Amino acid sequence: MASKLWWLIHKDLMIEYRTRQTWTSMLLLCVIIAVVFSLQVKLPMEHRTATVSTMLWLAIIFASQVVVERTGIAEHQDGCWDALTQYPVSASTIYLAKLIVNLVAILALNCVMVPLFVVLTDVPLLLHAGAMSLVIGLGSLSVAAIGTLVSAATFGQRQRGAVLSLLALPLVLPVLLSASEATRLAATNDLGNQWWRWVQFLGAFTIVFVTLGIVLFGAMIEE
Amino acid sequence: MTNTSGSAGRSPTILGTSLVGVLLAIAIAAVYIAPSEQTMGDAQRVMYVHISVAWLALLGFAVMAICGWRYLVTRNLWWDQWAIAIGEVGWMCSTLTLVTGSLWAHAAWGTWWTWDPRLVTSFVLWAIYSGNLTLRSGLEDANTRARLCSVMAIIGLADVPLVVMATRWFRGVHPVSPDMEPAMRYTLVANIAGWTALMIHLVVRRRRLLVLQSQVAELQSLYETSQTQR
Repeated sequence: MASKLWWLIHKDLMIEYRTRQTWTSMLLLCVIIAVVFSLQVKLPMEHRTATVSTMLWLAIIFASQVVVERTGIAEHQDGCWDALTQYPVSASTIYLAKLIVNLVAILALNCVMVPLFVVLTDVPLLLHAGAMSLVIGLGSLSVAAIGTLVSAATFGQRQRGAVLSLLALPLVLPVLLSASEATRLAATNDLGNQWWRWVQFLGAFTIVFVTLGIVLFGAMIEE
Repeated sequence: MTNTSGSAGRSPTILGTSLVGVLLAIAIAAVYIAPSEQTMGDAQRVMYVHISVAWLALLGFAVMAICGWRYLVTRNLWWDQWAIAIGEVGWMCSTLTLVTGSLWAHAAWGTWWTWDPRLVTSFVLWAIYSGNLTLRSGLEDANTRARLCSVMAIIGLADVPLVVMATRWFRGVHPVSPDMEPAMRYTLVANIAGWTALMIHLVVRRRRLLVLQSQVAELQSLYETSQTQR
């Protein structure tokens, strides 16, 4: 399974490397979102930290919708998806490969987005880089797990983007709330029990959605 | 095909009318018999409907997910018809939960809406219900529709424990199991029972309508095939 998984990931990353169709638009979108959001933040530091933490995660979620949608569209061009489903590989392996590719893209997005928000808003999001990395890792994995699973439900739909947002955003909302709260506490140097509870909640949510994805992706993609 | 005329067709109507009568009696009890709450006065009475429909929205989603799971196991559209019926009635209950909650919040907190964890998770539940209905309306093939909506219902089930536990896990302003006088408690229990009976009745009726719709579609396709052959 590991070698098949690796080849599927390699295939998707190679396609992205050659075409640059997802990452370019995603990074451009996240820079625009970061700048537009930052323009609106003229608050005292305490309120600014809370607002920026939520804005950061909103920006990540919106940009990741683009990632998930574009990777799905790319797979459905020229019968690629039909060929992939004929290949002797389990649905859960395909799900894990897509999840990892989307996760890599969302993490890359974070590498740009977090420093950009720090520069534009002066909020010390990297005050505790380790704690922040944990929150970003778990939050990104949750968003990628939900997006990858839900995007399979929208294949072949007339208004794919709209339906994807409609299905994915409500599911992502608890991730948005817990990740932005954990980010706010980390940025205000408060890594106590409350921070740990939000991280645990985020971790539990991630485990639930990755497990659901592995179990249910087969039912999502069958013809 | 089942005959829906005569006594077989009338009995659900009689049942429905009786249920409306029972609900009216319960509503009268909620307004005139149950005592007024000390701090909120009469505005508190909306709680009898609010708690009943909130419970049904949660129950409806859990049952819809179970029907979805049964469909995925058996691939029998019979389960999906139940899921559709419960999904639609559950969505209505979820909407009523938000509306009645908002009315109560305005009287209790002086605002129609606040970002309390219970309110947020209830809104998420409503949005998941709505997403499921939208997904269903965008798909032509019955089996594809049933399969995808079943999976979405199972995924959405993750929100149900969050709604239930929101007041215990997170800090918020939403009340947690307030103390009630016996008369208030009996009225609440009667309301929950009445609304649950009405929901079951509506789900059964809606599901019956779906069966009739599928039978009409089947007959239409048979008629069209025979016309083509002629």
